[in-house]
Amino acid sequence: MKANSEKYWSPYLAGFLLGLVLLATFVFMGRGLGASGAMMRSMTYAIDSVAPEHVDESPFYSKYVGGDTNPLNDWLVFEVIGVIAGGLLSGALAGRLKFKTDKGPRISKRGRLSFAFLGGSLMGFGAMLARGCTSGQALSGGATLALGSWAFMFAMFGGAYGIAYFMRKQWI
Amino acid sequence: MAHIDPVLHVWGWEVPVYLFLGGLVAGVLFFSALFYLRGKADEMKTSTSFLPLFAPVLLGLGLFALFLDLEYKTHVLRFYTAFKIESPMSWGSWTLAAVFPLSSVWAVIQADRLYPQHIDKVKILRKFTEIAKKFARPTAYLVIIFSVLLGMYTGILLSAFNARPLWNTAILGPLFLVSGLSTGVALSLSISKSDREKKVLSRIDLSAIGIEVFLIIHLFMGLLASTQVHIDAAQLFLGGEFTAIFWILVFGIGLLLPGALEFLEIRGKRIPAKIPAFMVIFGGLMLRIVFVEAGQVSTWIPY
Repeated sequence: MKANSEKYWSPYLAGFLLGLVLLATFVFMGRGLGASGAMMRSMTYAIDSVAPEHVDESPFYSKYVGGDTNPLNDWLVFEVIGVIAGGLLSGALAGRLKFKTDKGPRISKRGRLSFAFLGGSLMGFGAMLARGCTSGQALSGGATLALGSWAFMFAMFGGAYGIAYFMRKQWI
Repeated sequence: MAHIDPVLHVWGWEVPVYLFLGGLVAGVLFFSALFYLRGKADEMKTSTSFLPLFAPVLLGLGLFALFLDLEYKTHVLRFYTAFKIESPMSWGSWTLAAVFPLSSVWAVIQADRLYPQHIDKVKILRKFTEIAKKFARPTAYLVIIFSVLLGMYTGILLSAFNARPLWNTAILGPLFLVSGLSTGVALSLSISKSDREKKVLSRIDLSAIGIEVFLIIHLFMGLLASTQVHIDAAQLFLGGEFTAIFWILVFGIGLLLPGALEFLEIRGKRIPAKIPAFMVIFGGLMLRIVFVEAGQVSTWIPY
């Protein structure tokens, strides 16, 4: 069992297969992959459930709801559910399934989770400004050779390298 | 969502929550009594003795949800002024009237196995426990019979409602019973600390999942082989508005995925038992929410 706990796929093979998955989504769904869109639609659904007036008045949210339109009725939402289910099964098959917080030795669990929440929030905000995230812009847009997507990709990697230095103590 | 028959009182969250908790309690009580009678009480401590302590509380919460749904709350007592043999509601009310005290007596018997010192503190409770313990085995048999009745009833309550074609199938009783048993087992699985107990519970839950899948397939085969209104009712899940929510949340996350994880666990993979257990419990709740909601949409007359 211990040997299994370190079992991961080769990133090169996984990257190649991800490319094939991306190709398949274009063929079958007519759209590429995405992740932040599913989160945004889930948020819109949640806000629409508690404050429908606010959603109707907001130019951003109102694009995704109105009438009988369900914001969750979108390919990305189903795709992300599949990603979670697939990840769970993959972890189970490799014997890696357990409750834990991935973190460096010098940071507390609470600190790590706070940074993750902060980073996730910034990422969500950024993804909405950029009209897509790592998967929607870099992967799907990049595959179609869209100029904006490539600009996004370089800006994303540049930004990540620039910030990594200041955040390194979380991990070492 | 456009509900038909605007004059009909619409069932919201209260009825599915009651059906869910009723099924869960049925599952908890059934396996507690079964393990007790088979002499597995010490081996299966969580399911036999610990969880039944909460059965009356969970049932009480379910009944409270049902009470909130009543339009005329004071009329609740009228159920107990008559017994109508042809009315499923009457059968249900009297089953609940039996299960509630029965589960309380069973909880006291089991509490004495785990926490006798607490029972000693209250003299009258100790006296009552001693009397109850003398009848522990007959009580266990009664618990099994009434928990099956309770689990069945949660489905029959809907299937007796002929005005809704989706509910008008005899499979709902067994389906809700097996689903209730499965959620009860899953609850034990999620809190048990004994590896041996978890292994046995995983196997039982996997069998229950298999039976549920079989019953769901038969449910749709039955509806599709029936009249046009029944076919239309089935279509709500086969391309209609409940397709995604049913096949993803109930069938995928609530049955197939936990089934696969439990299968892998039995095959020796290390999988935290809580993960498939929570999925099964979530799936059980979603099954009732979806069926109560979709049943109200299904109709004999196209509006």
